[in-house]
Amino acid sequence: MTAVLEARDLYVRRGRDAVLHGVTLSLATGEALALVGPNAAGKSTLLRTLAGLLRAAQGVVLVDARPLGAWSRDALARAMALVTSEDEGPGTLAVEDRVALGRYPHRGPFRPLVEEDRAAVQRALERTGIAPLARRRLGTLSAGERQLATLARGLAQEPRILLLDEPAAHLDIGHQLRLFRVLDEARARGVAVLAVVHDLPRAAAWADRVVLLAAGRVAAEGAPDAVLASEECARAFDVKVRGHAVPGSPHPLYTFEERP
Amino acid sequence: MTEPGRRRLVLLSLLAALPLAMAAGVALGSVPLPVGRVIASLVSAAGLPPWGAPLEGPGAAILWSVRLPRVLLAALVGGGLAVVGTTLQSVFRNPMADSGLLGVGAGAAFGAVLAVRLGWAAHVFLALPLAAFVGAMAAILVVYLLAHAGGRPSLQGLLLTGIAVSALASAGTSVLLVATEEFRVKTVLFWLAGGLEGRGWTHVQLAAVVILLGVTLLALLSRPLDVLSLGQDEAASLGLPVHATRLTIFALAALVAGAATAVAGSVPFVGLMAPHALRPRVGPLARHLIPASFLGGATLVVLADLAARTVSDRLDLPLGSFTAFVGAPYFLLALRSSEGRT
Repeated sequence: MTAVLEARDLYVRRGRDAVLHGVTLSLATGEALALVGPNAAGKSTLLRTLAGLLRAAQGVVLVDARPLGAWSRDALARAMALVTSEDEGPGTLAVEDRVALGRYPHRGPFRPLVEEDRAAVQRALERTGIAPLARRRLGTLSAGERQLATLARGLAQEPRILLLDEPAAHLDIGHQLRLFRVLDEARARGVAVLAVVHDLPRAAAWADRVVLLAAGRVAAEGAPDAVLASEECARAFDVKVRGHAVPGSPHPLYTFEERP
Repeated sequence: MTEPGRRRLVLLSLLAALPLAMAAGVALGSVPLPVGRVIASLVSAAGLPPWGAPLEGPGAAILWSVRLPRVLLAALVGGGLAVVGTTLQSVFRNPMADSGLLGVGAGAAFGAVLAVRLGWAAHVFLALPLAAFVGAMAAILVVYLLAHAGGRPSLQGLLLTGIAVSALASAGTSVLLVATEEFRVKTVLFWLAGGLEGRGWTHVQLAAVVILLGVTLLALLSRPLDVLSLGQDEAASLGLPVHATRLTIFALAALVAGAATAVAGSVPFVGLMAPHALRPRVGPLARHLIPASFLGGATLVVLADLAARTVSDRLDLPLGSFTAFVGAPYFLLALRSSEGRT
């Protein structure tokens, strides 16, 4: 598999504080990578650096083997979409219009949307299951529905790389399952997905590979169940992790206890 | 009714309301002019085939040198301020944002008072509006430079810098006012209170060039404005050059607000009221809200100016006080009903 997104030895500062200390990772076409780690480990900073919103003091981010700096803004936004859990869109904006703004990198400031764009918006609405809400205003939606609208905007961008920051943060269990199914469908179309996931069992169940970030460094990386069972994971969260085999399930059931 | 249908209806009503308000503004006043003859005058001036008898003598003089420039100026000022309010509210993602935040009003007042204090206003034609315009531009430049002194500023940093610079300019205005001879103070007080008394075609031409150009360019930036309203991170991740776009929009908004304030003084609440009333009706997309706000703001100020000069027989009320008399209660009511809903 070829890497569509690669970070090499990233050092990132926010203000005076160094947040990332030499992070290296790669993401392949169609892969599901979960980024986990305790609070303040630098997950969101890493995601924003990968998206090109923060500049690395040292190291490089490559998309399709080309450094971010060599990409034009539009071309980069067509290749890679970022979806965060903070939706700051105006409450009077209709869902469909919000999703249509995902076509901005395809059409720029002046060219009108064409049939191809409207079709992409419609597909994104249907894939996220919010087509019936298309004409509703954002302010009238539940937090979970708003989150799906933000994801739909990311899908309407039709990127090859999807970066998500805690996409399930506001979702109830039904919406969570739908969200990860939508991500899996995107992967089946060849989209590489990197998501910051807070819920460790969910990360283990969904991802092909897990990267554990602790204090700005990659502490462990590999198959989900191996990372969760690792001593690094226990140390990073300061918990005891136990996996209980469940007959008929590919993944163990995890329980967590505080370490004495 | 479907949403696009409702939006079209609102836009059409606004499109009809503005000429009606302007006709009323031209026809009504201390000397009423018959609307039919006003139209006949306009038709004949436009070189179209005759349509009734045009106004003659004093009526024609009132129409051409008093009422028409005043009504056109009211429409330009109102439309411009409403569009500035709309765009800044998108950029700041705050329905209370207005040109005042960038120091435009306070800078313009300082420039105007300086021109009066130094005696330019009494001797040089258009010195007061030009000084006000320069003051407004200087204030926003200072806000921009100060806010950028420590690298790229956050919106909040820009907002707080705007407040600080406004406070400084207002303090300077007060000091200058105290040091100004009494007979000159009245000139500047009239200007500060906002009004269109005695404005002529030169004012219309100056305002029209800057305001129409600025509003047109802002309308062309509709889609970047919509993307910006999603917040900085999302806008940047969609490929929008956030800082350059913001800077362009601020510069255009400052030009329009500066020109409007220069010719009319302070006309508060228009930039808040028109977008606030229209956003729920036409939606927040700039390509709908900018034209609607322009028409709504223009109608509002034409009517406010008409009311300000006809409500009392004995004196012309200042236009700025009038928009505030209407705007402040409107805002309190809107606030109460929106709090009741949530």
